Amino acid sequence: MTVERQRALDDVRVIDLSTSVAGAWCTRLLADFGADVIAVEPPGGSRLRSLGPFSEDGTSILASYVLANKRSIMLDVEHAQGRRALSAMVRNSQIVVESGTPGTIDRWGIGLDQRDELWPKQTLVSITPHGQDGGREHLPGNDLTAYGYSGWAAANGLADREPLKGSGYTASYLAGVTAYAGAVTALCYSDEHPGEGQHVDVAESEAAGIVFAPGLVATQHAGAVTGRKQQMDLISGPVPVRDGHFALTLSRAHFWRDAMNVLGLEVLSADRRFDSGWYRMQHRDEFVPVVEARMAERDKMELFDALGALRVVAGPVLDTAELSENEHLRSRGNLVRPTDTDEGPHFPGAPFRMSETPWALDRGMPRAGKDSARVLRDAADYMDDWIGGLAEQGVLG
Amino acid sequence: MGGPLEGVRAMVLTQAWAGSLSTELLALMGAEVVQIEARRRLDSWRGSYDGPIPAGLRAVPSATHAWNVSPNFNAVNLNKQEITLDLQTEEGIELFRRLIPHADIMVENFSPRVVGNLGIDYEALKAIKPDLIMCSLSAYGADGPWRDIPGIGGTIEPTSGQSALLGYVDGAPLNSGRMFPDGVAGTYGFAALVTALHYRNRTGRGQYIDLSMQDANYGLIGDAVLEQTITGNVRPRMGNRHLTFAPHGIYAALGQDDGGEQWVALAAESAGQWASLCGVAGRPEWASDPRFTTNEARKEHEDDLDGVIGAWIAEQQRDEVVAALQAAGVIAAPVLDGFEVAADETFRARGYVQDIDHPEAGTHAQFTAPFRLSGTPLDPARPSPLMGEHSEEVLARFLDIDHDEYERLVQLGVTGEGPPPGYEGTAGA
Repeated sequence: MTVERQRALDDVRVIDLSTSVAGAWCTRLLADFGADVIAVEPPGGSRLRSLGPFSEDGTSILASYVLANKRSIMLDVEHAQGRRALSAMVRNSQIVVESGTPGTIDRWGIGLDQRDELWPKQTLVSITPHGQDGGREHLPGNDLTAYGYSGWAAANGLADREPLKGSGYTASYLAGVTAYAGAVTALCYSDEHPGEGQHVDVAESEAAGIVFAPGLVATQHAGAVTGRKQQMDLISGPVPVRDGHFALTLSRAHFWRDAMNVLGLEVLSADRRFDSGWYRMQHRDEFVPVVEARMAERDKMELFDALGALRVVAGPVLDTAELSENEHLRSRGNLVRPTDTDEGPHFPGAPFRMSETPWALDRGMPRAGKDSARVLRDAADYMDDWIGGLAEQGVLG
Repeated sequence: MGGPLEGVRAMVLTQAWAGSLSTELLALMGAEVVQIEARRRLDSWRGSYDGPIPAGLRAVPSATHAWNVSPNFNAVNLNKQEITLDLQTEEGIELFRRLIPHADIMVENFSPRVVGNLGIDYEALKAIKPDLIMCSLSAYGADGPWRDIPGIGGTIEPTSGQSALLGYVDGAPLNSGRMFPDGVAGTYGFAALVTALHYRNRTGRGQYIDLSMQDANYGLIGDAVLEQTITGNVRPRMGNRHLTFAPHGIYAALGQDDGGEQWVALAAESAGQWASLCGVAGRPEWASDPRFTTNEARKEHEDDLDGVIGAWIAEQQRDEVVAALQAAGVIAAPVLDGFEVAADETFRARGYVQDIDHPEAGTHAQFTAPFRLSGTPLDPARPSPLMGEHSEEVLARFLDIDHDEYERLVQLGVTGEGPPPGYEGTAGA
């Protein structure tokens, strides 16, 4: 007999007012771990639905990814009746997530100055480019500014080229993970202190700082800026192999010895001086060219198999097409189709697996306003004729 | 102490970056975190016993032990206590087992076989502490054909699809300058622990968490993954460009060639921002140029667009032009280097950057918690621990081990501080 397992956050309702990738990813994770997430979209739908890439029928693929697993209400909060409905939903929730510049939600009647009185039990998560205070809070921002301010961009890319941001929306996603963690931390606090909600303040530039934290200290310890790579070689990342690119990181001594043997470079593996990482860094010219030349004769998966069998840290550069066919991801159940559909693409699966309270992707992205009436019944305790009236006035879509 | 997780205790075997970061976030949020390290096989992020002292610390008299002044280690272990235990010895493993009943949380990031071989896998520890939350953080997870292959940020970045997307337009795939996947996996590790903690608060039940760095990082390119499966398009490397908006880039400012670097990041994500940018630049002709009038046109002529913006920025002082763009509502930022980040007034005002006074390395600016909670303000962060700094204190507090017994264990190499007995290195005491 199978017993349906509980979800970690199935006691939580989330009102999602966010309009950014970071906010949407935070709430996607909350939904994936069991929360009832209600995306509140303005008339016309979330701005995320206008961001590329697009499928042939014009659907935003980005939105399909980050709005999945949520319910959608289309509500005009610029209208007094819309604000009243929002306020009711907020009071019947545990978490509110928003991404506006400070002051935005105040205009919707659920601002910080009203929190103590109206909704002290709820956790409010604000995800913005620069946080709620400190001098930059009113400035717009995106992944570029997050990587620029955090120090990460200055260290990323090549020394003779411009600094590089991370690809796509990686900073936004990381800020979303950070905000998810902050929201659940606040829940844990409320578990022990019932009735005490918190305001979680997440700055995308600070979430991005996590990946530069060692660089920040290293810069000061070195007494000099540790800038971008002078060249891309074996030390700094993937190098060409016959059918693509491959990273061989050579940290511990036995990785070095085994890798040199796999490449047929026994002269190097036998040289004890090269066992030390710092020695290799100081004498890189003595081995980098010859190792790269040997690697260029190999195929990436053949090399990965040979090194993997010896438990050497190494990795082939795989693209999205290769990963969609990847046997390891597939065997771990990490290529997942929403359970409400038998067709369409597979999504990346659980970022971590919990033995008692599984991650699940129950549904794909809702049409904007798909659940409007139902949400007002469930989350605002509204009656059907009242809901019908809101729809007639154009407050509800 | 203080912080939202005050009262939570973790005994952890975390090391390197991702694992240590996951438990550092616990510690920054007020949990008591005791990290357990092995003297015979020190944390790779401490470097090695015979490693050099970083150049900038050679004038610091207390910076004498390379393993205690490693910037990597000291960046990701704030607020923790640390003891050493040799888990290869019977006494060491026994002491570890005796600590577990005092723990709410255990985290480890060895290769998947190690905890089983040591007899301290989840089933074994659950028998000692039934409601334990345990997280194993590994390269490829606890099962699947790649489970025994080790990995680090520098190899997960390629195998999670990130390297294939990172790089200059028409350039080769790159790894990031500071490994991105560890920060992601470490943040997710912390997220997993608080998720399990909330469930335990509700039900009294612990659980086991299997975190694969590849799984966690693969999700961060999810829109590119879906794009490929829906349209067949394998997204190319795009440098600093955006799929939808233009301009979106990083441009060299005045003074670029005079030693220091001066870069401006800017973007326009709306018609209003583009009009404002043209206004700040004093180039009304850009706004009326048919190549640039709509975002669609700007995307189509992005090389031309980057050319004119690059030429304009090249004649501007970085901070002046960034301030002007920001005042006009345009997305803009300077690309800060490590020293500028350390001095940044906004990060300091928010408490994100703090001066951390480390007993050996001296005082340096460090990043602290990446989010703040209004009701539970955090105390100033405490420095990352010296190797084995809290061994005697922790063993006495939890296991009633007195000074003589502690000294006996030190002589046996079971616990202690710094290099193990018999070590004859060139650095250190």
